[in-house]
Formats: sequence, structure tokens, C-alpha cells
Amino acid sequence: MPSSTRVCAMATPDAAAPLELAGAAAEPVRRRSHLTESLELRIPIAIIAFMVVLCFLGPTILGLPAPIGGDILDSNLPMFSAGHVFGTDAVGNDILSRLLHGGQASLEIAFAVNLIGLVFGGGLGALAAYWGGRLDPIIMRLLDVLIAFPSLVLALAIAQSLGPSKINTIFALAFFSVAAFARISRAATLQLREQTFMTAARLSGTPAWRTLLRHIAPNILPGLVTFALLGMGIIIVLEGALSFLGLGVPPPAPSWGNMISTGQQTLSASPRDVLLPSAFLFVTVLAFNLLGDALRSRWSVR
Amino acid sequence: MTASPTLAPSRRDSTPGVLYSPAVRLIGRRLLAAIPVLWGVTLLTFIVVQALPGSAAQQLLGPNATPEQVQQLEAQLGTDRSMIVRYLDWLGGVLTGDLGSSLSDGRAVTEVIGSALGVTAELVLLALVVSLALTVPIALLAARRPGGVVDRISMAVSMVGLSIANYVLALVLVWVFAVQLAVLPAIGFVPIGDGILDNLRSLVLPAIAIGFPLFCFYTRLLRADILEQMQGQDYVTTARAKGIGPWRVLTRHAFRNSLFGLLTIVGLNLGTLIGATVIIEQIFALPGVGRELLQAISNRNIPVIEGIVLVFAVVVVVANLVTDLLYAVLDPRVRHGNT
Repeated sequence: MPSSTRVCAMATPDAAAPLELAGAAAEPVRRRSHLTESLELRIPIAIIAFMVVLCFLGPTILGLPAPIGGDILDSNLPMFSAGHVFGTDAVGNDILSRLLHGGQASLEIAFAVNLIGLVFGGGLGALAAYWGGRLDPIIMRLLDVLIAFPSLVLALAIAQSLGPSKINTIFALAFFSVAAFARISRAATLQLREQTFMTAARLSGTPAWRTLLRHIAPNILPGLVTFALLGMGIIIVLEGALSFLGLGVPPPAPSWGNMISTGQQTLSASPRDVLLPSAFLFVTVLAFNLLGDALRSRWSVR
Repeated sequence: MTASPTLAPSRRDSTPGVLYSPAVRLIGRRLLAAIPVLWGVTLLTFIVVQALPGSAAQQLLGPNATPEQVQQLEAQLGTDRSMIVRYLDWLGGVLTGDLGSSLSDGRAVTEVIGSALGVTAELVLLALVVSLALTVPIALLAARRPGGVVDRISMAVSMVGLSIANYVLALVLVWVFAVQLAVLPAIGFVPIGDGILDNLRSLVLPAIAIGFPLFCFYTRLLRADILEQMQGQDYVTTARAKGIGPWRVLTRHAFRNSLFGLLTIVGLNLGTLIGATVIIEQIFALPGVGRELLQAISNRNIPVIEGIVLVFAVVVVVANLVTDLLYAVLDPRVRHGNT
């Protein structure tokens, strides 16, 4: 039987831990005005919406050149060159176009990973807690194994065994996101089980599937959704790390991570190659974190 | 049920004798619980690494090797045996303290890890010390006046720190301090034997890249915890009613209790911290465990991968255990078993 810290561990799965708990600080200390509170939600939503539109529609609307297959004669153009606002990289690809297409990859991967985590991990955790019995300790031990494992290491090994590609990156990262969501949803469901309305549902003979769907799911969803938003930031960073190590989105296809990694080699000559994708990565992650934080304090979930 | 706290010792603890002391029972129980977890970690690693395309022999000989050469080397390394045999062989070795030898240069895995572990340990320690040394005063100042200037600035800075990827931070630091200002080395490691100052200079940037996000995380956490203590706890009300000054209540009463939360997180977070060293060591070319691991993964050097992952997992398990024990040492309620 584990200790009290284990209870804590449940809510703070490995990679997710920093943002998960740090959000606790977001509880309103002073009474804040309605305006501040709504701005806290609206600004990050606006940034995220802008990023999504920019990355997915931007290349078409702005009529940008393709992110790969640039002309070598156009290589290393400076910022604000004609037709290339951010210039071109060492092989002549338009940097803005690569940034936006890279953003598509990051956002798609982060969204897919968190959706998989939310559905499968959330379901698994709720089932384990609700049915308990022999299933629960088995599931929890399996998750313990994943938690005791440095997440980047397993993601690295999985990504390398499957070969770098977008789908495999999603798969490698989903492994952890499922474990993380399962722990949170299990902890939340365990708390719910003790509540009176659950006893009432049980006594009135509500079938298990109905209890899970109508009583448990609506109660644990706010927590899971905030976690998913914070998870977006984490996954974008982790995807970047995998790509950075050459195991995420395979070049020449762009991703923020592999752009940073390539740019690292010419850091002193053209810091732009590192700083631009880093800035995009940072702003996006910051927006997701702010939104997750704001929602957490609004829904007062921890 | 896994959620029940076990720090509260059972009722039978009145029995005297060391074996029955709550701490010893706690250690025993936790170590027993750790065994299946560690075993699972090694098995999982083995399966995953096994699934990597290409074999160690292939990687060692390069793409021009003939199939016969590869076969010969596989027989020599023993990697032509079935996976189950090799795993059991390895597991048997571990139980006797032998982690096997590296497939690439034949060195004992314990030796490979031993030489790299010092670098990683120093890096992690440095990052922890720096972040904690900053966290405590800043969280206290922030909690003294919630919503005040210090609080707002520290919360904004920490949000930034939590949103910045450590590899991005590392490269920005290199760009500023090594390229622009040229005051610190960009990459490389100077062993502590070659002068402590040069050693520290080579570790400053990597330690900040790991420590700054950590500092942001700890600060938010500690501040929130102190505020929670200050707002809701009876002992704070009592202390205030006795006429103790607000700063003293904060530092001597609330902060001391909040330390437990911080301690737990530092212990639990060690796994993530070790994960972060992998990429940071790569960027700064530090000869630590993370770099060995990346190299071993690309060489399909299973014994080294297994050894390093096992060490990581043991560190995480032990850190969790030590955290729990420190609780018992620091908190008289737990120590005397009357939670």
C-alpha cells in the first residue's frame, strides 16, 4: 500500500507535474473585477485562435511558397526580403512558410495526443476507480511503471523503434498522456464515489454505464479538460524535444522542434533560425498555459 | 486501495522494538512495493529496445558489413540468443549486482554509468540548489502581500518560465552569454579536478536551463501553499490572536508547514528532472548519463540502456521513499504516529 505522497503523485503525473500543480497558485486571492477575469480567458483564447488560423489558413491566404523544395539560389536571404518576410533558410525555403507548417504539425500532434489521453486515459481511470476490485491495483501498477520511467526516455525509444513520423510521434507521446489522464480521472472518481449522490444513484439501481456517463463524466470533465489544455503546452514542448533530437517530425518536413535543432548549428551566424521558431513555440505554449490556468481558477478545480 | 494514506501507522504500533517502528515498517513496505514496479520498468525497456530496428552488431559494423560478419559478431556478443534467454540472463546478473557489459566497447555497465553519473548528479544538484535558494525568499515575499508588486511580478515571471521549453531556454542562454557576451563557454565540461571555478563555469548555463523552470514551478507552488495556510488554518489565527507579527507568522508558522508540500514535490519531481538532463546534456555536450543513454539508444546497446533506465527508476523510487521518511523525521505528528 502506498503512502500519502502517492495520493499527490496521482494528481501529478511525471511530465505533466510542473503545470499541473503550479496552477494551484491561480486561486483568486484578491477579489478580482469581472473584466480582469474575462480578459484572463479571452486573451489566451484570442492568441490560440490567431495561431490556429495563422498556421492552418495562413499559408493559403498569404500565398506563401511551399515549406520544402525551395531554390538553393535563394538560400539564407535576410529578414524582410522581397517575397520572404522572415527570409529563407540554408536551403532556400521560406522561413515563414516553414514556421506556419511546423505549427500545423505541432498543433495537430498536441491535439491528437490530448484527445487520445482524455478519452482513453480518462475512461480507464474512471473505470479503475469505479469498479475498483482486482482491476484497480493492476491498472495502477501498470501506470506506476510508466510514472517511474523518465517520460522522454521511453518516448525516445518508442519514437526510434517506430521510426520518426507524425503518427508515430503521436503514438509515443499518447503513451504518457493516457497514463497521466488515467491517474487524474481515477483520483477524481475516487473522491466522487464517497459523495451522497453517488450512493443515491447506486441505491436507486442506476446501471453502471449510466452512472459513469451521467454522474461521473460530467463531474470529472472540467478537471480533465483543464488538464488537457495544460497538456497541449506540455505536448507541444515534448514534440519539440523529440524533433529536436531528430526523432519527431522527420526533416525536410518542418516542425518547430526540428527547425530549432537545425538552427542550433548556425546559432552564432544567424540566431533568427533558432529564435523565430522558439518564439512561436513559446507564445503558443504560454497561451495554452494561461487558458488552462484561467479555466482552473474559474471552475475552481485543482 | 491505493489512495489511502499509509503514513498513519496502524493501531498495533504500541508494540515496542525497532522492527515494529512505523518508519521501519514503512521502509519495508515501500521497498517491497517498489520491486514489481522496477521489474516492470526493466521488462518494458527490454521489449521497447528489442523492437528497435537494426541490431547492435549491425550498428557497430556499419552499413557495409556482410551478413556473415554481422552474424559472427552477434554470436560473439551473445545477441543471437532469444530475447527471453537474454532478458533472464540479464535479470539474473542484476540480482547479483552485475549489470552486464557494454556491447560497443566491452566496458562494464556499472563503470559506464559510474563515470557519467557524477556529471549528471552535479548538474541536477546545482539546478536544485539554485532553484530552491531563490524560491524560498521570493515565495515568502510574494505571499506577504498577495496581489502586491512582488507577487504580481513573480507570478508573471514564473508563468513565462513554465511556458518556455528547457531546450529553447538553453539555446537562448547560449546565444546571450556565450555568443553575444562571450563570458561563459557554450559547450563542454570541465571536471571538478581541473579547477572548481572552471567546473562551475561549464555547468552554469545548463544548470540555469534546468533550474529556472524548476524555480518557477516551486515558487508558484510554495506561494499557493503558504497562502492556503495563512487563510484557513486555526494555528495561524491563534498565532495572530496572540499578537505575533504578520511576518513572523508567515515565516515561523505558515512557511514551516508549507515546507512539507514543497518537499514532496521536489522528491516526486526528480524523475522529470532527470528526463530534462537528457536533452540539456546533449545541447551542452556534457558527458553525463543522459548523453550515454542517447548514444546507447542509437547504438542499440541494450545492457547500457537497461542499466541507465534501471538507475533512473531506482533514483525515482528512492527519492519518493526518502521524501516520505523526511516527513516522518520533520513532522512530529507522523513521527509519533498520532496523525
